[in-house]
Amino acid sequence: MNWIIIAMILALLIPIYEAWQDENIWQKMLAFASISTKTSIIMLVISVTRDDWYIGVVAAIILSVGNGGLMLLANLLKRIEKYD
Amino acid sequence: MINLLSYSCLILGVIFWFWGTFPLMGNRSLLFKLHSLSVADTLGSMAIVVGLLLKIPIEWPLLLLAIISLAIWNTVLGYVLAYCSSSGDSNNDR
Amino acid sequence: MIDSYVYVIIALLPLSAFILLFQVNPYHALVIRGILGAVAALVYGVLGASDVALTEALVGTILAMILYIVAVRSSLVMRLGILAERERDKESYLAELIASVRKIINRYHLRLELVEYPNVEALEQALIAQEIHATCTKSELLEPEKDSKPYETTFRVRRLFEIMETELNLGTTTINYRSIPPSPP
Repeated sequence: MNWIIIAMILALLIPIYEAWQDENIWQKMLAFASISTKTSIIMLVISVTRDDWYIGVVAAIILSVGNGGLMLLANLLKRIEKYD
Repeated sequence: MINLLSYSCLILGVIFWFWGTFPLMGNRSLLFKLHSLSVADTLGSMAIVVGLLLKIPIEWPLLLLAIISLAIWNTVLGYVLAYCSSSGDSNNDR
Repeated sequence: MIDSYVYVIIALLPLSAFILLFQVNPYHALVIRGILGAVAALVYGVLGASDVALTEALVGTILAMILYIVAVRSSLVMRLGILAERERDKESYLAELIASVRKIINRYHLRLELVEYPNVEALEQALIAQEIHATCTKSELLEPEKDSKPYETTFRVRRLFEIMETELNLGTTTINYRSIPPSPP
């Protein structure tokens, strides 16, 4: 089970690297979307391996609410680009 | 038997994750990356959650909520990102 | 008992914090801030602080990002006062001037906002009242000489003046600096 989690963290490193080196803001947003999904799934996996309900509840809430902020940010960025 | 099935689901999900995330590093257009990311990432995450569901069925309400929110949010997010980015800068169209 | 993957997850937090530190563009930094929030929520959750993780995800990522984007958008702006003229289309100089100013300040991640005023007096008043950062008017020479510059741009912000003086070498405007005393409270 530990190896699966390590592999998931490695998969998480790819979008972090992408967000670091790409200069286009939409590519960064894409990496951010990927990261926010991946972190909550990793949290869910860890909660199941530890048999801990609280972490699982938090992971599910983050998964269902956290992407709302991402959409808001995307719309705001679009407005700003249109204005410039 | 169930254990084997759940592990194979988890491994399949991780493979999907890598498959969907590796195109992110190239110099392809945004929409190509968005497509691969939204398809393979969502499928991989769902496979992982199904694997967890087989492993510990007691936590089913949480995992069901996770699957539903994954399916809805990632689809909507794909549309929103594509819509917002396509009207902003035109050099990413192709 | 601490599993080995916990250390790897914790190492992600300073990594993303360093990436955030080295961002130059404020909007890019905002996106990286969101990534930092997601990673921080993961770390807090793994270490057992579910409530802190939830707070970080909801307040730290969504609310702080909205507040930051409002702050960045309203503060990183240069307001240039111009005269509202009917036949402005005739003058391609002004459009060229505004385009080159916008190009220069975009390099400093600023936005250009044009504010129109009906006459020169109102423009002057706005500059003194610190409503705008710079004015752009026609020079008052009645007889345009051969190599005179048809426009006059006045800045009240020292740093903007220095930037424009070194980088804006356009033949159509003179650049002045005017120090405005801080308005009495």
